[in-house]
Amino acid sequence: MKTPRLSRQTLLLLERFLDRPSAWRYGYELSRETGLKSGTLYPILMRLAEYSLLETKWVSTEDGVPPRHTYRLTPKGMELARTTFTRSRSRRTTRQPVLDGGRA
Amino acid sequence: MTSETYLRRVAASLLRLALKVTPQDSFAWGQAVLAELNYVEGDWPALAWALGGAVVLTKQAMLSLILPGRRRTAISSKPKLFAKEGPMRKATLAAIGACAVASLLFFLAPVFRQAFQASLAQWHGLADFAPYEDRRPSPELEAVAGLAEQNHDAEGLAFVAMRHPKESESARLADKAVQLDSNLTWVYAAVAVSHPTLPQIERWVPKIEQFDPENALPYFIVAEAIDIDQGLHDKVPKKTSDESPAWKNAMASAFQSPKLDNYLDRLKALDRRVMLRYRLDDLYQSLEDSCCYLYLQPSYSAWDSDRYAQLVLQSGETLEARGDLTSARDKYLAVARFFQMMTSAGVHLPQSNVNVPQEAYKRLQAFSEKDGLQEQARFYASLAARAERAEENDWIASPNRIRDSDVTRWSANLVKTSGVGMFLCGGILLTCLVHVIRKHQFLGPNSPGPGRITTAFGIGGAVGLLLSSATLYTAYRPYAEIFQGYLRTGDESQLPLLSSFLDHTGVLLGSEGFYGDVRVYFWFAVSSLCVLALLLAVITFVAKHLRPRESI
Repeated sequence: MKTPRLSRQTLLLLERFLDRPSAWRYGYELSRETGLKSGTLYPILMRLAEYSLLETKWVSTEDGVPPRHTYRLTPKGMELARTTFTRSRSRRTTRQPVLDGGRA
Repeated sequence: MTSETYLRRVAASLLRLALKVTPQDSFAWGQAVLAELNYVEGDWPALAWALGGAVVLTKQAMLSLILPGRRRTAISSKPKLFAKEGPMRKATLAAIGACAVASLLFFLAPVFRQAFQASLAQWHGLADFAPYEDRRPSPELEAVAGLAEQNHDAEGLAFVAMRHPKESESARLADKAVQLDSNLTWVYAAVAVSHPTLPQIERWVPKIEQFDPENALPYFIVAEAIDIDQGLHDKVPKKTSDESPAWKNAMASAFQSPKLDNYLDRLKALDRRVMLRYRLDDLYQSLEDSCCYLYLQPSYSAWDSDRYAQLVLQSGETLEARGDLTSARDKYLAVARFFQMMTSAGVHLPQSNVNVPQEAYKRLQAFSEKDGLQEQARFYASLAARAERAEENDWIASPNRIRDSDVTRWSANLVKTSGVGMFLCGGILLTCLVHVIRKHQFLGPNSPGPGRITTAFGIGGAVGLLLSSATLYTAYRPYAEIFQGYLRTGDESQLPLLSSFLDHTGVLLGSEGFYGDVRVYFWFAVSSLCVLALLLAVITFVAKHLRPRESI
């Protein structure tokens, strides 16, 4: 599978999505949780959607109020996120003893 | 959801503005940012949210311009959300079509077609590097030449002869015209003025002399031909006294001639008759070439006249110094009489360091005073004062003439700008159309239609095209009416306006007052722009095809 390189901000966002994988999330909610500004958050969301890693949906909230755009990782996106974090964790665990040993 | 405040309204307006330039494939994302704005807590954070979103959307717009083939996966959007889009887009497309059709309808008006031709006049010189005599006459002039030859129409042939850029053809047609009607012998003079290096001039001058024995014009033609020949062979004498005997003889004959007729009246009358006969109602085509200046400034040979008059004045002074007062007086009288003749012929004399007629009148005044002829002396004094005022008036009139021509300059600039505007807007409109066809945006019942940027450029191009066409028509029409009036009634009072207008239309927009070779700079600018465009195309290609694996 052709996968993009993941920036630190993207990893941050993916991590938030993995917290509640099945939940649809709002843009502003994600911004608050990750601390990413709209100018950073939306390009990431757009690229994730472009790679079919993110699915989007319009939801109506109340009458007279414009519908909101919501986001959730696709199965492909979830697989990528999990693989990335697993690899990252395993890298950390394999390096840890060396580092610990070094310090010791 | 938060309440509406001034800052929030600004933030929402900012995002809506950014949405106007957002490409179609990112439009729903823009709507998403706008929708979230309602939930951002705090006014300033809301403004920051909108700013960030606007930057993202603008960036998308820029990217879609640089990388037109770039496609982002459009996200699904609620049909209800964009329910207004369909009719609005249709109305916009209808407006674009209406503007384009209205602009094209202008071409049905003959005056507009003439105006369009006139607006292109500024480009003629840029692409034409051939010498004047190698240029082809306009198709209209060629058509008149063909018909005149076919019908043995002497006046038609003379009309073409006086306008034809090719020397030999001009001479042939003039000969044929005079052969058909000897009353047109004066046409030789008009052709000789346009083509002073013609070998036929030698044969023509005696015929003009015979046709109009009292006229100084054939002698001026001879003097002018000598001047040009000297100039071509780099043999221009430094002093007038060093001029060739042939030049001096020609000028002496001109001095002795009782009148100067530059045949302008005959020329204008013939022009009108031929234009009406061949329905040449196109101002630009009829008056664009060199004949036009003859209508306005019959200053042909003025420079030669001034130089020769100075020579005669000097010889009078020499004779006076030697004590030959009778011969000296004759010389001064010859100068005074000559300038009377030139002034009555409407010749504008050049402003040299010596006011020759004034000097001649002063000398004659002195002679009269010496002879005790007080009344005659006063008469010469008044003539000298008038000659001085004439020179002063020339100085005063110069800036006035410039102010007078401001109107025609502005009109001509408007015509030229409108012409450029038409091409520019037409080009934009055509590019949008090609873009839409290329992207198959009209194919299929569910086709998305043209994108927002394409639509924006399309409407801009169409409105611009219509405005440019209307401006071109409005700016040109008064001059076309003046010309029609001249053809109908023969009223010449407005001809200087027409000539000034045509002079200005022939100058490339923005290059007025520039004395270098405009063509060099123009083509340099065009080449530079081409290189820049090529560079941009290469960068776009590299960015599109050789991009490294992207990061999110």
